[in-house]
Amino acid sequence: MKEAQLTDILLELSENAGVAGDEEGVVGLAARYFRQYTDRVETDRFGNLIAFKRGEKNGTGEQVSLAVLTHIDEIGAMVTKIEAEGFLRFTSVGGIDPRTLLGQAVVVHGRTPLTGVIGALAPHLLSEKERKKELKMEHLFIDLGLTREQALERLNVGDFISLEQKPLKLPTGCITGKSLDNRAGVAAAIFCAAELAGMKHDADIYFVTTLQEEVGLRGAVTAAYGLAPDLAVAVDVTHGELPGLSSGDVFKLGQGVTIALGPNIHPALSGLLKELAREQRIPYQPEPIPASSSTDAWAAQVSREGIPAALLSIPLRYMHSVVEMLHPDDLTGCGRLLSHFARSVDRRFVEGLACF
Amino acid sequence: MEALMKSLCEAYGPSGEEKEIRALIENAVKDSVDRIYTDNLGNLLAVREGPEPALLLSAHMDEIGVIVTHIDENGFLRIAPVGGVAPHLLLGQRLRFKNGAVGTVYHEKLKELRDLDWSKLYLDLGAGSAAEAKNVAQIGDMACLHQPFDSLNGRYMAKALDDRVGCAILIETARRLAGAPLPQAICFLFSVQEEVGLRGATTAAYSIQPGYGLAVDVTRAGDTPKAPLMEVSLGKGPAIKVKDSSVICSPKVRRFMMEVASQHEIPYQLEVLERGGTDAGAIHLSRGGVPTGALSIPCRYIHTASEMVDAADIQNAVKLLEILCRTSWSEGVS
Repeated sequence: MKEAQLTDILLELSENAGVAGDEEGVVGLAARYFRQYTDRVETDRFGNLIAFKRGEKNGTGEQVSLAVLTHIDEIGAMVTKIEAEGFLRFTSVGGIDPRTLLGQAVVVHGRTPLTGVIGALAPHLLSEKERKKELKMEHLFIDLGLTREQALERLNVGDFISLEQKPLKLPTGCITGKSLDNRAGVAAAIFCAAELAGMKHDADIYFVTTLQEEVGLRGAVTAAYGLAPDLAVAVDVTHGELPGLSSGDVFKLGQGVTIALGPNIHPALSGLLKELAREQRIPYQPEPIPASSSTDAWAAQVSREGIPAALLSIPLRYMHSVVEMLHPDDLTGCGRLLSHFARSVDRRFVEGLACF
Repeated sequence: MEALMKSLCEAYGPSGEEKEIRALIENAVKDSVDRIYTDNLGNLLAVREGPEPALLLSAHMDEIGVIVTHIDENGFLRIAPVGGVAPHLLLGQRLRFKNGAVGTVYHEKLKELRDLDWSKLYLDLGAGSAAEAKNVAQIGDMACLHQPFDSLNGRYMAKALDDRVGCAILIETARRLAGAPLPQAICFLFSVQEEVGLRGATTAAYSIQPGYGLAVDVTRAGDTPKAPLMEVSLGKGPAIKVKDSSVICSPKVRRFMMEVASQHEIPYQLEVLERGGTDAGAIHLSRGGVPTGALSIPCRYIHTASEMVDAADIQNAVKLLEILCRTSWSEGVS
């Protein structure tokens, strides 16, 4: 797969809505791509999408399985109240930042999708004191230009709300848009599946696009239990470099995917990833994470008897805003590294994991 | 149902100390089911046999309370919360221990009331010395709120309506279904330790392996003066949960519940609870995932000594739950 094709897939995934708990549409889109490159695509009871690529050792007694976990849900909101004037009150679904919401276009997923805006009081109407006040979700409202009666015909309390943003490719090649967290991971997994198509590898590979990560790694909990893979690699995003932040916590865009290190990560898995990256001249940045990685890898690690896990992250700026930004080189690097990893793991590697 | 509600609400049962309330519920429900047993954690499971996959109905029987952490030389007790208890709501309240001993809570001298936290609170048993206090309560003993159940003009006020009202609804539903053929096995779960993190429902769901889940619990109401922005009111019907902090309910289960309610002209509201969780949160993530919904009774003043619910909401919840049990979930939830 060419880089241009990969970025097109990412733009398409980014533009589509899939708030945690309401991912069906964007899951269907991802399924279309995975179907081209894998043997079987299905959804589990929770709704996670599982694309299966059979390994050479399947059924031989030396089989080994790898789950690639990429969450496809995005942060958003939900209608809590329809005010007498027709304005909608809402609550967040996942970690949404109220400061980024003023003046934002949204879609309320009512009986049909309804476009609206998050309004704010004009500065003329605010006192000096009010202007300095912290902005809270309860001060905000959505305006669909409808009366309460019109709104009641078209939508209900509990309807999902997605943020509206058309992604852009900047002249430098960087991509900016909403929900690159974690459509970038999904795109990297699709890239990996495309690389592996027609290639031989020992391991059975499950590409799992998980749901509801943003509200508590929920899809990964049931997927990891249901599949019980020998190994899991999560692919997600991490914080990109910005002025004023120290370099240990943030990572340069375009300088390579990060390989996580720390208690959440099995050292043999991160070791193999680093070795493969050096061998294949794929740039990477080490990312030490002292406790929870807050990714699907955290949920997978303690599923059933324990699943050795690793985490690859794509550096990204302005996480949880509609102007998230990343560099496509990190995306292709991530996809390539993942495919080399998938081809490298075998029964012997898995059996060696218990020897620390 | 009022007499049942009264006995359940007034019973003692903070999280981890559910023996008394469990015995009460067991007596009330055992004649209506095929099998009843208590599991390793203390969950009470009342089973109606029937075709698989089974439907798991859950209401938690534990309540919030306090635990004794220290007894000083003058016989005053220091306490810590069990579940989500706000310290200011305990001032002047009476608390009761398992052995029936009663005391009240007050605070040390404070400059301002906003300085109040758990370290400033003490529990007074009327004891004159450490020895006298220790005759009544030990470190690690738990107490619950001590308030009678009151019936007010179509509404009920009591401690522990969260979630004894859910327990009463499950018991009443089991009674109405007694002897009737069912399209699926039903497990009535009276769970322990919900208030400290959905712990009973976690292990019960794992062992039962249900096909579907439904939690019955209370939710907040937005119908009091300057209440938080929430569409739910007392008396407008039980609430079908969309989301809380612990779960985004299965859209298929939610649609099924809404359809059944509409068909039978049972009023309902939709609930988006900004903070708080319920057993559905544990059940839906059990093993490979369980499509799960939740039915909530709108309740004012949750986690205080005077929680308040509407009798009509309870009746409508029982009505809806009974029909849901008589309907095939395998066919309805798709």
